[in-house]
Amino acid sequence: MAQDVKDTQQPKTEIPTVTLTIDGRAVSVPKGTTVLDAARQLGIHIPTFCWHPKLKSVGACRMCYVEIEKMPKLQVSCATEAMEGMVVRTDSDQVKQGRKAVLEFILLNHPLDCPTCDKGGECDLQNLTFRHGFDDSRFEFQKYRFTHGAEHTTFDDVRIGPEIVLNRNRCILCYKCVRANKEAFGEYDLGVYERGNIAEINAAPGELVDNPFSGNLVEICPVGALTNSDWRYKIRVWLTKTTPSVCNFSSTGANILFFKEDHQNKIFRTTSRRNDAIDDGWIADVTRYGYQIVGSPERLRTPLIRRNGKQEPATWDEALELIRRRFGEITERKGKVCIGGLASPTLDNAALYAFSKLFRTVLKSNNVDYRIDYKMLPTSDGSLYLRLSRRPFRIADLDTSDVIVTFGSDLVREHQLPYLRVRKACSFNAARYFSLTPYPVKSADVAESELIYRSGTEEVVLTAIGLAAVEMGLVEKSLAAEFSRKVEPKTLAEASAICGVDEESIRLLARAIADARKVSMFTGEIVSGSPARDMIAAAALNLNRLLGIEQRGQLAALAHSANSVGAEKLGVAPAPPASVVAKLKELWGQYPEAEPCTTDKMLALMRKEDIDGFFIVGADPVMTYPERQFAVDGLEKLDFLVVCDLFETATTELADVVLPLASWAEFAGDYTNLEGRVQRAERAIKPMHQSKTPLEIINLIAERLGGRLFETDQHMQREVSALLALPDQAHAPGEFLAVVPASDENANGSALPLYVCDDPHHSGHLTEKAHSLANFCGEAYVEMSPDLAARLDVTDGTPVRVESEAGKVVVAVRISDHLDNDVVLIPRNFAATAVNGLQLRKRRVDRVKISKVVD
Amino acid sequence: MILTQESVKLIKEKVPLYPRRKSAILPALTIAYHQLGYVDDDIYREIADIIKVPYVEIAEAATFYTMFPKAPRGKYLIQVCHNISCALLGADSLIGYLEKRLGIAKGETTPDKLFTLISVECLGSCATAPMMQINHDFYENLTPQKVDQILDELRAEA
Amino acid sequence: MFYSPVITNAAEAATNDKLHLFKYVEDPEQHKLETYVKHCGYQAWQKVLAGMKPDEVIDEVKRSGLRGRGGAGFPTGMKWSFVPKNSPKPRYLCCNADESEPGTCKDRVLMERDPHGVIEGMAIAAYAIGCHRMFIYIRGEFGHPIRRMEEAVAEAYKGGHLGKNIYGSGYDLDMVVHTGGGAYICGEETALLNSLEGERGMSRIRPPFPAIEGLYACPTIVNNVESLAAVPHIIRHGADWYKKMGTEKSAGTKIFSLSGHVNRPGNYEVELGFPLKKLIYDPAYGAGIKDGKKLKGVIPGGASTPFLTPDMLEKANLDYESLQSVGSMLGSGAVIVFNEDTCIVWTILKLIHFFRHESCGKCTPCREGTGWLEQVIHRIEDGHGRQGDLEMIENVCGNILGRTICPLGDAAVMPIQSAVKHWRDEWVYHIEHGKCQVKPHFPFK
Repeated sequence: MAQDVKDTQQPKTEIPTVTLTIDGRAVSVPKGTTVLDAARQLGIHIPTFCWHPKLKSVGACRMCYVEIEKMPKLQVSCATEAMEGMVVRTDSDQVKQGRKAVLEFILLNHPLDCPTCDKGGECDLQNLTFRHGFDDSRFEFQKYRFTHGAEHTTFDDVRIGPEIVLNRNRCILCYKCVRANKEAFGEYDLGVYERGNIAEINAAPGELVDNPFSGNLVEICPVGALTNSDWRYKIRVWLTKTTPSVCNFSSTGANILFFKEDHQNKIFRTTSRRNDAIDDGWIADVTRYGYQIVGSPERLRTPLIRRNGKQEPATWDEALELIRRRFGEITERKGKVCIGGLASPTLDNAALYAFSKLFRTVLKSNNVDYRIDYKMLPTSDGSLYLRLSRRPFRIADLDTSDVIVTFGSDLVREHQLPYLRVRKACSFNAARYFSLTPYPVKSADVAESELIYRSGTEEVVLTAIGLAAVEMGLVEKSLAAEFSRKVEPKTLAEASAICGVDEESIRLLARAIADARKVSMFTGEIVSGSPARDMIAAAALNLNRLLGIEQRGQLAALAHSANSVGAEKLGVAPAPPASVVAKLKELWGQYPEAEPCTTDKMLALMRKEDIDGFFIVGADPVMTYPERQFAVDGLEKLDFLVVCDLFETATTELADVVLPLASWAEFAGDYTNLEGRVQRAERAIKPMHQSKTPLEIINLIAERLGGRLFETDQHMQREVSALLALPDQAHAPGEFLAVVPASDENANGSALPLYVCDDPHHSGHLTEKAHSLANFCGEAYVEMSPDLAARLDVTDGTPVRVESEAGKVVVAVRISDHLDNDVVLIPRNFAATAVNGLQLRKRRVDRVKISKVVD
Repeated sequence: MILTQESVKLIKEKVPLYPRRKSAILPALTIAYHQLGYVDDDIYREIADIIKVPYVEIAEAATFYTMFPKAPRGKYLIQVCHNISCALLGADSLIGYLEKRLGIAKGETTPDKLFTLISVECLGSCATAPMMQINHDFYENLTPQKVDQILDELRAEA
Repeated sequence: MFYSPVITNAAEAATNDKLHLFKYVEDPEQHKLETYVKHCGYQAWQKVLAGMKPDEVIDEVKRSGLRGRGGAGFPTGMKWSFVPKNSPKPRYLCCNADESEPGTCKDRVLMERDPHGVIEGMAIAAYAIGCHRMFIYIRGEFGHPIRRMEEAVAEAYKGGHLGKNIYGSGYDLDMVVHTGGGAYICGEETALLNSLEGERGMSRIRPPFPAIEGLYACPTIVNNVESLAAVPHIIRHGADWYKKMGTEKSAGTKIFSLSGHVNRPGNYEVELGFPLKKLIYDPAYGAGIKDGKKLKGVIPGGASTPFLTPDMLEKANLDYESLQSVGSMLGSGAVIVFNEDTCIVWTILKLIHFFRHESCGKCTPCREGTGWLEQVIHRIEDGHGRQGDLEMIENVCGNILGRTICPLGDAAVMPIQSAVKHWRDEWVYHIEHGKCQVKPHFPFK
């Protein structure tokens, strides 16, 4: 990952500047800047309703009037380009009168129901009326009232989404919600109907506004027209305090604010904390509502100790003492290498580092990993996939890329904010976007071309792009020859036949990459989750070399979890890169010689009883490891299992000691996002019940085991910083790598490829505890194409039996609005489904058979 | 499907006339209205499926314009222009006259579902005022005798 | 028998070399290709494709002094010249046939009776800007003109005047007849483009102007039917011929739709600069006020232009600058005549009701202001006017004028402002007495 991620822009083509005067002060801005933005640069506030920094200006509300010399009429500053020599006034009498008039118009049909409106205190209309409006109204007529389709209350409220309540009477028709929904999110579940002064915003007829970005619509509403049912009427906004934090449910690290109340030690909501380098001020619903897991009544309250086969509440001292004794016994009996550990990649940098240090310095073991849902992991540092994943990548660079290629990533499910950047690049900068996946995805609606390849042929697709470039003569001859020598198959025609993508589409893509001024290309979970990930990475690195992608942009495998990159950089993997190991040796004065064991290897060793003690922090391998029985068999064989989590999970059920873990909102911690950017999440509230922070728990256990990890917090910080400062040793290979397609060992007959993924409203194993998110997506489901559903004679909600070599589950059908081939998706987020029970760790593509449940 | 094969065919023919599919929304709504005399949510859905644009876009466009009522009306929709040029020549009285002749108030439909009477904005027949539109045809330079004759003919035709 | 029984001055046009738009509009066969060609139709188009460069066409139209006939009066040739010469994007031409301005009924007649004239004008304009797919946006209510236009387009394709490799020149041109859904605002060019894209017909903020970023964000020219219908004549007879007609700044002829209280309402093509009084009183045109009543006022350019009083009529000629000098506008050329029985409050209520109904709802002053004005004026008309209402109307009008995205806001308030100015006493009487000075009831007979 990029070491020195700063917010500086890459050098761009020179944009000329213009100089203008606003309220007597000169300002120079790049040509194309609006007068409004120029004023903002001077710190001059121009009031607005319909303007949004990330949407196209429409000039609808007319609140942002300014006076410009030589222009007789008032101008809307949001849509007026700053010109050389312009003389602008934002505070003249005419401007003030114009604003007053607009506010008067807006308030004509506004109900002025502030006492019963929960937007009070943070309402733009209230605030701007206070500052710029009249104190009286000249309107003496009945206000227009929208009542159709409303609940019969004073408010005429309409519920338009799982968490959105609409009050049309308060709406001032700034259209920001509808614009954001279509323009920024590509969603079509909200619209504006009728026209003139009876125009109204509402959900699409008969539908709900339940898209994975819907919470933003409420956040940008300048009045109380859209309110959030999770937040409204629970607390007055001015009684809350805010804490800056970052999202813990994705690798993007969206910047957020928690609104909390200290006496109740409670978080009431999450909003965005705009950071243009990362999130553009948008957050996904899983980020917005995920905070609810913190205050869930199901949180673990005390440590639990298994006594006579039953887990019973215990004190921290009892639990720690038991851990000391049992780990001691195991060490004495079989040696320290018989203990292993798994830390969730959602933990903060300090905890992850401490976890590694505990194992490597106190237990002298390399049995440590953070990868909880990878099939068949490599242990060596030489993994090509790791090389691909360590390449620099900047989210904001997507904006300025003219060609964007995503490979094996269902963006809406895994990289929601990068997905919005892709949309933005397409709609604002006419970027050409190419989406390559084994099944059609929602995000491809902005794509110039969506290439659907046969499941399990990733490396062939990538090679095909290179072969197309070679055959079209787009690359230099000797390079082309070298490439062709190393890869199989040798022709585009053969490759196309194997991967099932037509030659013309591949040629189009190859030419687009070759012609691009700036390319952004990244791979997603379908690559990282594949046991063939190293071969795929080799093919991607070949393409990089062949087409010179890194010279004109970026190519990387994106991380999946909130702190996977931190875990990697801090050496939580069993065999960190040599530079990391060297630094650790330097810091610790020691480093274990023991054999490095991945999650997969450790589970295998447990089955052989070569690992007897295990320590898990924040992970739930029973639910997420891509072969449930393999994980269960291993964990059940353990002599002693310690699990820390927020909740009782399928994994804590097997534990001898369960420790209540504090969530990321309950302590200050640093997280490294997919770009390598380190961001701090501050402590919003005190740890709930008796829970402790992961660092505290790791430190306490280390002390009990006779080793103190850090003398002081400063020492700890210094060590973490030293590791994060290490430059990445991830240079692209200077030669082409051999790529021979792995045969699809399991393409047996009529079985359907199964993709296990996140629901767009969930992430990982905990978000089911957030009741709002549960409201969005309901129960577990298997998603399939309408065509497949018709053949199976099933419809939305029909329970079906999904069966693989590994097991079977019964789950309800959901008919997809974008799948059109014979592939099924089942989200991993539902504990009841246990979808990993269908997976086999050695299978490249899991395959299932589906049958109707006959009762 | 509520739309007939013929309507679907006509709609599909419109799509390639435009560089973007969305442009076919108004033509499609017009074709649907010509078939049905109304266009409601179900029809929006069908049109969305035919021309492959998001359903909400159909609903948003349809409700913006006046020509796509959501509910069926009488067999003959009488639209009387009440705008200025017609009003100067008695459009308000013409509406009163029609109300009396049809036995319904403006905005209503006769019990036999034959006639619906509404008043509309300028239809571009200002120099031949007063005028009315019945279904897709204009009737201009109206007099009471002409109106009587037109209504009689329509009744006979029905 | 014509579909529309509207009166025209075609007889005059037949003998007057200057009049050209209406020369054949009384010929019942003129809408057919065969007749049109017999009347020298498509000669200009052939001339253009046979040897004129696009820039030469633009220059010719520029020199002719032709100005937009839809309302704004912007020089047509100059508008065409704004299309970027080296844009890689396709360019589009849209003929604005969304004729909806109250009082205006001229484009409809051209489309019904001389559709090929419109097609030929469009084709020449399309060629001038390098467009290969052109659209005519006809208001949806115009059932008959739509049918006529569709038939004519089909004939033009068949006759080789549209389609691929026209006249062997290598130039391809397609034409699409697009129909609206009922919205006055779509006569505004950016709203028209939104509507043509399948959006709600809401106007767009400018810049960018359509010539740079219009339909599908490509360079686009939107011209009125009548403007385009004049183009073949300009090409055929030359800019000098055209320029000689009309006045210095208002070249050529224009069709005026005369409606309201006159004896001969109708569509009349006259040279620009024609005296308004003559149009109303001359027996060959309006033939005076109906039923021997006195004239109260005139709206000279469609419902969105300010009123003229009888005394202003003396100085008012039908051209852009003369009407501007008397405080009104040429607009779309819809002359609406009011007799002495007309109540000004009633009239304004009709108009503001219309504009409120047609406001697209995008920008605040127009959306909210038109509704408010309608309520206040309704109150006065109902006899419940209050002291201060007039001042409030004037103030609210001032808060709309010049403050909206598109001209609909201005259009809504300009007639009101002029009506309050010219007939203030009548408004005051209405408010003070709760009733009208005149009888606002026009019988249907």
